[in-house]
Formats: sequence, C-alpha cells, structure tokens
Amino acid sequence: MTTLDFISVRKTFGTNVALESLNLDVRDGELITLLGPSGCGKTTALRIAAGFEFADSGAVLVAGGDITRTPAHKRNMGMVFQSYSLFPNLTVAKNVEFGLRTRGVVGAQRHLRVAEMLDLVQLMPFADRYPHQLSGGQQQRVALARALAVQPRVLLLDEPLSALDAKVRTTLRDEIRRIQTEVGITTLFVTHDQEEALAISDRICVMSQGRVEQLGSPTEVYRNPSTAFVARFVGSMNEFDAEVTGASEVTVAGQRIGAPGAASAAVGSRVSMLVRPEDLSLAEVGLPGTVTSITFQGATTLVGVRLDVLDHLVSADVGRGAADQLQIGSRVSVGINGSNAVCEPVTVGLPVAVDEPVA
Amino acid sequence: MTDIIVAEGGRTVGAPPSVHRRNWAWLGLVPFLGFLFLFLVVPAISVFSGALKDNDGQFSFVSMRAAFTGQNLDAFWFSVRFSAGSALVGVVIGTLLAYAAATATRPRWLRNLVTAFSGVAANMGGLPLAFAFLTLLGKQGVLTKVLKEAGWDLYAGDFGLGEVPGLIVVYSYFNIPLMVLITLPAIDGLKQSWREACANLGGTTWTYWRRVGLPVLAPSLLGGFLLLFANSFSAYATARILTQNSLIVPLRIAFYLGGDINAGEDAIGFALAAWMIVVMVVCMSIYWVARRRAERWRS
Amino acid sequence: MSDHSIHVAMPELEGPPTAPTAMAPRPVGKPRVRFARLVPNTVMIVCGVFFVLPLLTLARFSLQNVPTILLGSSTLFKKWSLVGLTKAFSDPDFWPALRLSLQLAAGTVVLTLGLLLPTAIWVHMRLPRARAFIEFLTVLPYMIPAIALVAGIFVIKPHARWFLNSDLSLIPFYVVLALPFTYRSIDAGLRAIDLKTLVDASRGLGAGWLTTLRTVVMPNMRTSIISASFLTAAVVIGEFTIADTLLKETLPRFQATFVGREPQAGYGLNLLALLLTIGLFVTLSVLTKKRDYKRNSFTRQLEKATKMTSDTTP
Repeated sequence: MTTLDFISVRKTFGTNVALESLNLDVRDGELITLLGPSGCGKTTALRIAAGFEFADSGAVLVAGGDITRTPAHKRNMGMVFQSYSLFPNLTVAKNVEFGLRTRGVVGAQRHLRVAEMLDLVQLMPFADRYPHQLSGGQQQRVALARALAVQPRVLLLDEPLSALDAKVRTTLRDEIRRIQTEVGITTLFVTHDQEEALAISDRICVMSQGRVEQLGSPTEVYRNPSTAFVARFVGSMNEFDAEVTGASEVTVAGQRIGAPGAASAAVGSRVSMLVRPEDLSLAEVGLPGTVTSITFQGATTLVGVRLDVLDHLVSADVGRGAADQLQIGSRVSVGINGSNAVCEPVTVGLPVAVDEPVA
Repeated sequence: MTDIIVAEGGRTVGAPPSVHRRNWAWLGLVPFLGFLFLFLVVPAISVFSGALKDNDGQFSFVSMRAAFTGQNLDAFWFSVRFSAGSALVGVVIGTLLAYAAATATRPRWLRNLVTAFSGVAANMGGLPLAFAFLTLLGKQGVLTKVLKEAGWDLYAGDFGLGEVPGLIVVYSYFNIPLMVLITLPAIDGLKQSWREACANLGGTTWTYWRRVGLPVLAPSLLGGFLLLFANSFSAYATARILTQNSLIVPLRIAFYLGGDINAGEDAIGFALAAWMIVVMVVCMSIYWVARRRAERWRS
Repeated sequence: MSDHSIHVAMPELEGPPTAPTAMAPRPVGKPRVRFARLVPNTVMIVCGVFFVLPLLTLARFSLQNVPTILLGSSTLFKKWSLVGLTKAFSDPDFWPALRLSLQLAAGTVVLTLGLLLPTAIWVHMRLPRARAFIEFLTVLPYMIPAIALVAGIFVIKPHARWFLNSDLSLIPFYVVLALPFTYRSIDAGLRAIDLKTLVDASRGLGAGWLTTLRTVVMPNMRTSIISASFLTAAVVIGEFTIADTLLKETLPRFQATFVGREPQAGYGLNLLALLLTIGLFVTLSVLTKKRDYKRNSFTRQLEKATKMTSDTTP
C-alpha cells in the first residue's frame, strides 16, 4: 500500500506564503491532480514531495514512513518534469536505464527492464536515438519510461504536457492515464489546465493561493463546486448580479429563479450567481436578448447573447438543433436553470456595475 | 524578367526565380570579398609562397623543414609547452570561475561584474599587462620582494617571467577571462531539470557531474582549451616585453623578418609563419566543430 | 590593448542575455549552504586578488618614486606624485605617436563601418544563404594571427612599397584584425531586429529605401554600431604586433621604447593606456544600456493631446 500524505505542510519563500497548511491524502494507486493557476502552490507541493524543496513545518509520509527530511536522491520516487529533462548526451535507452545504473542493477537485467519500459511507452525503435532527435511528445514518453524504470513508490508529474502541442497533449495525457492504471502506481499530477484534470484524474485538488479550495472527484468538482473560485476555474461560468428574494430563490432582472445555492444567504442580500453555459437554454420564456456570436463545436453550439436588461454577455451551450435557426442578430429568450448555480455573496466596496457609465 | 509559362489547361505558372537574379545579388558582396582577398588572403598565401622557396628562389620544402630544426624547433617546443600550460590553467580556473559566477545568487550584481570584467580583461594584454606583471613579479617586483622576505626567493632557481612558468602566469590573466566568456553560456545551458532528474533517479552530485554535467560541457571545455592554446601560441606583444631571448615562435618570426640574418634565410621566417598558420587552422577547426557539437546539445 | 589575434566580442552582443539558472542545490539548512558555496566563493576571491594585484603594483610603480628595494612600512607613504604620469607628455615623440594612433583608430572605424554595414545589410536582405559563408570568412582572421599576417606583408613588401610606406596603410590590416568581432556585433544587431521583416513592413507602409534606412534601420543599429566602433578603437589603440614589425611609430610603440628612456614615466604611460582602454569599455557599456524612453512615452503624448482638446471643450 503506497500512500502519499501531506500533513499540515507549510512553506514560505521570504514573505510569500506558497503553502498555508496543506493536508492531503493520496490513496494507493490513485491519480490525484493538483489543479490551480500559477502561484497557487501546486508546484511547491510537488517539489516538496520530490525533495527539491523542504517544508518549513509539517510532514510528508510515504506508505506511512516519514520522508520529510530525506534528501531527494534517497526517496525512490519517479518524476516527469515540464521542460525536457532527458540527459542530452545519452541515448534514449541509456536515459531510461540511468536510475537502474545508479542502483547497481547488472547488465542483462537492466537491458530487459529498459526493453520492458520502452515497450510500455511504445518507443522501442527509438532506443538508440538522442533526445534532440525526438519530438516533444516522444521525449516526455521517454521521461515517463525513465521514471517508471526504477519501480518508484510514487509517480510525480510536473505539468508534463504544458509545453506540447494541443493534439499531442490529448493523446499523451490519455496514454499517461493508461500506463498509470496499468502499472497501478500512486500518482500526483500537477497542471493548470482544468480540462486535463477533469479527463484523467481519480480526484482533483483545486488550489488557490496556497490553500485547498476543494478536493473531490471530477464530477463533484464540476457539478458541485464548493467555492466560487472552483466554480470559475473549472469549466466556464456565466455571472449574474442577483438579489436573494426567498429561501433558495433569487431574482435576476425581475425573473425569479430557484437556486438551492442561495440557501445560506440572507434574504435581501446581493449575490453573484454563477451558472454554467449548459444550464442556460434558449427558451420561450426568459431574459430577452440578441445573439452576438454562434460558435459551432460539433456536439454542441456555444451561443453568445447580449441581454437587453443587463447589457451582459452570456454564453449558452445548446444541443443538437436548437441553434440551427439562429443568426447573429436574432432575438432570443434565455432561460436560466439555477439548480446547479453557485451563489457568492457580494462584498461591499466592489466596483460599480457594468451598465453604469464611468464618470 | 519572370517568364510566364502557360501550362496545360490554361493555368499560368511563373517560372522559378531565374538564376540570373541570384547572381546579381552576389555582386553586392564584391567590395567586402575584394577587401578580404586583398588584405587577408593575399598576405596569407604570400606567407606560403615565401616559405616554399629555397636560397635560389626555387620551389622547395627546405625552408619548411629548416623551420623545424635547431633553435626553431626549440622555439616550437617552448611555445607549445607554455601555450598548453596556460590553456590548461585557463580552462580549469576559467570554468570554475564561470560556474561560480553562473550560480551566484547573492549579490545579484556579481555575475554582471564578472562578465563585464572578463570582457575587458580578455581583450587586455599586450604591453600594459607585461609591464604590470614586471612590477609585481619581476626581479624588482613587489610580490617578489614580499616573498623574499618571507623566505622564498623566487629567482633563486630558473624562474623568470619569460620562462614557461612565468609566461603561464601572465597569460592566464587574459586566458581565464576569455574562458569565462565562452563557458558562461555553456554553463547556463545546463538545465536545472537535469540536476533534479538525476537526483530523483538516485544520483548524487558526483553522479550528476560524472555522467551528465561534464560530458555535456566537454565539447565546450575542449573548444575552450583549443581557443586558449591558439591565443597563447600566437601572442606577440606581451612576450616581446617579457623575454629577451626570442625563444617563442612569434618572436622568432619577428627576428627573421627583422633582416639581421644571412641572405636567403628570410624564407625560414616565412616558413615559421606558415607552420604557425597550420597550427592555428588545425586548432580553430577542431574548436569550430566542438562548438557546433556543444550547441546541438544546448537546444 | 591586446596584441593577440583572438578576440571575443563583448558578451552582450552574443544574443539575448540569459538569466542565471540556479544550478546549486537548494539549501536545506545553513551549514550545507556554506559548504556548497565555499569553493566557488574562494575561487572568486582568489581570482579577484590575482586580477587586481598587478594593476595596483603598476600604479604604485608609476606614482611612487621609491625603488622596490627600499620599499617597506616606513617608506610606504612617501614620495607619491603624479609626475610619472605626465612626464610622457613632454617627450617630443609622444604627440606624433598619439596622433597617429588616433588617426588610425578613426580611419579603421570609418572603413570598418563603411565596409561592414552595407555588406551585412545586403546579406540580411538579399542573400540569407550567404550568411554561413560570411560567418566563416569572419573567422578567418583568427586563423591568420597578426604576426603571420605581417610575415605575409613582408613577402609582398617589395611589390607594394608605395602603399606600405604610408603609416596609414595599417588601416586596412587593422580592419581585418578587428573583423571577427565587429562583424559579429553588427550581425547580431541586425539579427535582433529581424531586418527583413522590418524593412518589408516599412516599405509596405509606403516608405522609400532611404527613409527606411534612416528611420527604421539605423536607430535600431545604434547599439551595435557604437559597440563595433569602440571595440575597434580599443583594438587599434593597443595594437602592437603589426606596428612593431612594420616599424610604424604608433602609441604602443612609443609605450615600449619610452620605458627604456624613462622607466617610471614609461610605466606610468602604460598605466594611462590601460586606464584609457578600461575607460573605453566602461563608456561603451554606459552608452549601450537599455534606455528608458518614459519621457516621450505614448501615454504622455496622449495626455498632452487630450489636455489640449479638453481645454477647448466647454
């Protein structure tokens, strides 16, 4: 059972608090993604796990053993870096066997293991090539093979796909997931791309400014964001100024909308209501507006609408057929489904609403 | 000047840029090429034409061979010895200094200081440098005096600024900064992720340098050695001030050119120069190749 | 200034500056930091001392009229004066030598720029394929060191006496000597501004060739032109090899012979020459620092414009 535990890990760089007090349990064999914008602390957490940084306080445990002060080269973890980390003077095969050589694995065994790894990432024909002769995606696959060759207890991935082309990114991320489940290794994955996180994770840990905003499965994080930050960061959101006019009910531009998310807010208070595009529909009854853009995405169509009353641009994700008759300039009515909406109380002192002219 | 060809089906296709146009553009290089030819190529070829003659002016290898005998051979050997020594010192200390500057985090301006100073010092040398060292380590030098009073008589043996050890010390003054300048980019090119990946895979600092760091730096180090060697081998002014015995190749060339020699022996001077060019070409060619190799790994 | 033929361009001209990558392992606790930095710091200090010491002793010798034998704690602060520095100026041979060196420097700079700027621009605009070839050519002077070049000149001498008799005949050879890094400086400047794109854009917007050169190309080349000029000047003012063997009375030649006549003043003159070279480099780095154009920024101009119009609106 290889678990990875962060216990109240805190790290500051000078006056900058990178991690406030991180508590995270990665279960055996699961892939947890640390997701967040730059500066949220995800990379710091990963580097603390790897041993390139040391926590100011708190502990890091692997399979129950305390590795907080263990130097990096004794931790037996596999790591794949963002920028290409293959040793340029060694061939692919020699890169993959590097960790085996430092552990003193003998020739025949080494070669067999290298072959096994290259097979796993499907790069056997490239064994004698040098890194600069490979594409970005191929280099990352070699990096993965190299990390896994030593049978590490934990696999750490530091934004491995960020530097790659879009197409390569999708194929490679699926491959990483495939290999991870096949090998069954406990994995910590860091990225700022929420689409990536949603696609491959068992659980997602959304972070912001050194704190954990939410920890849950992709479905949970997407459908039930626990904070407005998570709601905005994962997927896209429409924002409406709303007034709470009842228990679990808000009013947006005169329209009453049922919103369980407003249950905790006081009646009469103002909230910012966050609604997913797929929760907006082009209905007969709703807020009137004019179509400003139509983006065909295949299975769905993203329709941008400027609402009359709010001078507000919203995007509605509509399914097959619903947008076929629309053109730019068409008049539509936008219906709001508030059942999944997140309501964030508006704090005093915010800038004036958009529709008032700047003095 | 473009010919329009009507291909089948009525499509018109422009002809590929005609060869004539390309040739005209090369004419623009004539002033530059002409200048180089006149003032670089012609003298260089002349060296060889002057070298491949014997006393009667006929084509012969006599002078080239004579340049390799007797005092001239001694001079070659002497030049090689101290050039290699100076290059070695420059490579080792220069690399260490470059590494120190590249990794210096506090204070911030340290790296810039080292770079700026190296830029100046690498091009220094010549007369002021020679005189400066005479005041430091010469027979009447301050340091010589200090050492003597501390018990170490520098000039008790055959130390001299014009001897191999002395020249090595003096030439290091510009060789070390030169090495810093060409090695800094190479050291910057050592990615941090390599260091971390190595640690992650179980390697220590020593493992890193032995299996990744030094191998990657090796072409730069070799190139640097050759550059410093060539630099030292061909230096004239500093040696002119420091040595009176003209036992290094550039000084011997000057001696032969000076005219105070037997008739027909001036071809030997040209032969010496010709051999020097050969040495330089070999060194710089290997340096060029090494640099190409180093750049490939850096990208 | 250097006599040896291998020069290296100033680091800034090689390309965009790279930030230092922290290669040292991150510190775990205090003791490890100190150990990791011990060797590099020692190296830097030792080197620092090594590089400064000769300059100090040169200065001492020039400025203090106490022979080394008598030097001791009692005499350390006696007999300092600036006489050593200024004596050279009263020597009749000094001013002609200085004048010649300055003329040579000016001539070399002019010839270098006049030859290299058009050529480099031409290559970038019309002959990108020639770039590698030209780069190779500019490395050639490394392979033909000054002393070998002079030997070649001696071979030609009988045929070109009319040319080589003039002192100014040194100029083209100095251009050759400085070629590797003047060309690299100018080439780097052109590469940094992506000449072809800029010129195409300018011409596409309607500017003629001359206007383009004047308003687009030259201002962007300012740094490389200044660098090339200063480096060339430094090379020429310090060049000894060719001048010595061809017996041309330049400043460095005077520096060498004057020492024989007046030791202290001779050393002082060399000290001055050294300071001059350093001064040239310092001036160069000051002149090529990245400028802050805030004073004439667009927002300022816009402010002024809106202020003017708002003053007239009711």
